[in-house]
Amino acid sequence: MEELDKSCEYLSGVCPVWCPGCGYYGILSALVEAFADLKLPTKELTLVSGIGCSSRLPYFVKAYGFHSIHGRGLPIAQGVKTANPELTVLAVGGDGDGLAIGGGHLPHVARNNVDITYLLFNNAIYGMTKGQFSPTTTLYPVTKTSPFGLAGEAINPSALAIVYGATFVARGFSVKKEHLKELIIQGIHHRGFSFIEVLASCSSFNTTDMNVARIVKNLEMIPEDHNPEDAIEALRLAADQEKIRLGVFVRNQRPTLGDKFQEMRRKAKGKGAANMEALLGQFA
Amino acid sequence: MQSDLVLRVAGESGEGVITIGETLCKIAAREGIHIVTFRTFPAEIKGGSCMIQVRLSERRIPYHGEGVDFLVCLNQDAVDENLPDLKEHGVLLCEAECDLPEKNPGWTAYKVPFDRIATREIGSRISKNIVVLGALSHLLSLPKETIEKFISEKFARKGKTVLDHNLDALQRGFDFARSHLAKKDSYRLPKGSGRKRLLMTGNEAIAIGATAAGMRYFFGYPITPASEIMEWLAAHLPKMGGVVLQTEDEISAICSVAGASWAGGKSMTSTSGPGLSLMSETIGLLSMAEIPAVIVDSQRGGPSTGMPTKTEQSDLLLALYGSHGDATRVVMAPTSVSDSLRVTALAFAVAEKYQLPVIMLVDQALSARLETVDRETVERLPQGSRSCASPADGAPFVRYQLGGSAVSPAALPGTQGGEHMVTGMEHDERGNFACDEETHTAMTVKRFRKLAAIESDPLVAEFCTRLGDENSEVGIVTWGSSAGPVEEALAIAKGLGISAQAIIPRILNPLPHQELKTFFGKVKRVIVPELNFVGQLATLLRSTYRIPTIGLTKVKGVPLAPSEIVEKIVEAESTLNARSTRAYGRAG
Repeated sequence: MEELDKSCEYLSGVCPVWCPGCGYYGILSALVEAFADLKLPTKELTLVSGIGCSSRLPYFVKAYGFHSIHGRGLPIAQGVKTANPELTVLAVGGDGDGLAIGGGHLPHVARNNVDITYLLFNNAIYGMTKGQFSPTTTLYPVTKTSPFGLAGEAINPSALAIVYGATFVARGFSVKKEHLKELIIQGIHHRGFSFIEVLASCSSFNTTDMNVARIVKNLEMIPEDHNPEDAIEALRLAADQEKIRLGVFVRNQRPTLGDKFQEMRRKAKGKGAANMEALLGQFA
Repeated sequence: MQSDLVLRVAGESGEGVITIGETLCKIAAREGIHIVTFRTFPAEIKGGSCMIQVRLSERRIPYHGEGVDFLVCLNQDAVDENLPDLKEHGVLLCEAECDLPEKNPGWTAYKVPFDRIATREIGSRISKNIVVLGALSHLLSLPKETIEKFISEKFARKGKTVLDHNLDALQRGFDFARSHLAKKDSYRLPKGSGRKRLLMTGNEAIAIGATAAGMRYFFGYPITPASEIMEWLAAHLPKMGGVVLQTEDEISAICSVAGASWAGGKSMTSTSGPGLSLMSETIGLLSMAEIPAVIVDSQRGGPSTGMPTKTEQSDLLLALYGSHGDATRVVMAPTSVSDSLRVTALAFAVAEKYQLPVIMLVDQALSARLETVDRETVERLPQGSRSCASPADGAPFVRYQLGGSAVSPAALPGTQGGEHMVTGMEHDERGNFACDEETHTAMTVKRFRKLAAIESDPLVAEFCTRLGDENSEVGIVTWGSSAGPVEEALAIAKGLGISAQAIIPRILNPLPHQELKTFFGKVKRVIVPELNFVGQLATLLRSTYRIPTIGLTKVKGVPLAPSEIVEKIVEAESTLNARSTRAYGRAG
């Protein structure tokens, strides 16, 4: 009971706009419980989002929240972390936000290894605009904007993040809240860009792709002996067509964007004094 | 002796044309001479014709000069392309093998075998430009020791052989000129005050202004003609503890700026028209969420890819209105390199103080031109900072307070008790989404009240200047780099006995209404010179003040010439004198 109270301290009091039965409630629970476990001070907690049902999450959490524009949560989070590295920065967004309109930012935030945690809520549909296909729609091909079927193949978010070089890649499921909470804790602990795909069902517009029964039937935990530094094996697991793998695919260490900035500052210091007078010298 | 010299060096890109011009500038700036330059860039990456025009003067000058006094041509194409711009009694210094037209209106021509001296005598074809400098130093009585010192500085790190070649080249050029060319003209370097001036381009001035204003977070995407801003900052901002990140596109750049600025860092991006188009949506977000940001747009020619290496002032309407909804933003436009330094600092002061995006418009010609800047300019820059709250513990933080000042104190992430939402959605005082009738009206009014407050802020008072005869009935309103040719045109018109006056606002949104209304009350003709086709400032003035305007527009990729403006002044003056019933020229 005490633990529940602690996680409730991370709720803002604003009532979620999500539909009854939405998978996102489970993600919100896992998230605030992870914050409580980590004892993160709310003043240092920063949530950045784009547009869509999932992107509404920051309103419901007691933290510094930035609900921005469609697809742009990641570069905004990159800016926040750059200007204040002390903050714990999370980005949240949906499959349309992160893989369609904002799909161009993911490879770069991943290769920059920005020290943030990104939760991609994958419900394989555009829920906020009421039922158009998304880049991850597969089993529910007839949507409002694809009455005669889908034109393109679906994207596998975790596989993509692995290929883009994210240093932490995991997949969770909104129904498995304790497991998801652990993934979020690991993601926040990880120094570098953490990508967590969270499968969640849209109770209003697509219960096929992320059908809870289907996922439960097909899911399989990533074997404990999987080496998270083995990106090829990680990719094989993430891209598995037969089984839906949950757990940590990739975990490895390399310098973060913040580390690189520090290195640049150090190298630049050797190239001249740090004052305006010295900078103006080159124009004299 | 003349107090002013317009010198142009022309040749093929890669021949060292720009180095000759820049060396002259550097030497002159150290002598305390005032300089304004203009240079063209070939569209090709390598090769293609290019030129640099340098105007040197004993007094402050607003423009790079119309008509060339002293023309230096490194090849036949350069002669053919540039000779028409040489003044009747001007001087031509060219490669010995160039053919000159038989008809000579009164030029003095000097020929020097630059190629032969460089290739045969020195054995280094690329030192040709230094041979030219040597010849110039004799013909214009340049201080040769200063040039030697400059060359030593420039080539020292390239090793002794290269340095020796170049010093040899300078000497041989000088010797050839002294023994073969009898000085027949009277042109020489104008006298300097001896007070050393700084020499920088518009892009460098923007980078310096931003650094001096405390900007430490720069995100950008390479684009001509703005890239040099990011390049300079990449090399120097880290020394000051700042960072520069080249992002994957302009959207990422402006969004990273939004994030860094929300977190409390003074942040900026620079781009050109195509990038500003991409940033439009985020400008609306910055306006809505009330986050400071400075966006520099160095305008180039035409829509779409247009003419990347040519100049134009055709992004004004995009800067004013780009982005959907009623999105508040401030638009500024400096007129010169020195002004760019001041207006960049002003952009940060206003952005931070009023928590909104500021778009600063420059253009290719201003970005690329070298100009002398007084050191004091850097010491007297406008300052302004963000108002930050000390939230009371317990009560929810009110980020967007209604009533009272239009600007509500911010709580930067990390501040105890300041947790709140910022959002691109319409929101209530706490930042929670709200789309009821009252809230949207009240919040829209709040955001627009900031513009009214800026207009009357003493911070911006000195950023609208008046030129010319304050009693004249012929008025000119112009913006950005077109102010230079206008100032020059006023002086020329005065010489012809025609009076005119001009007003040059550096802030185009919000417009300085008081100053403009007073101005329009005095003048009977309003000429609006600008570098675009539709007359973008004229459109704004007509719709805001319901006044007829006489448009003077140009889309040739080059700055306005003072003579083009003088012609309009003369025309306007004649309609006044004739008391014609058709008082105004065709609007637009």
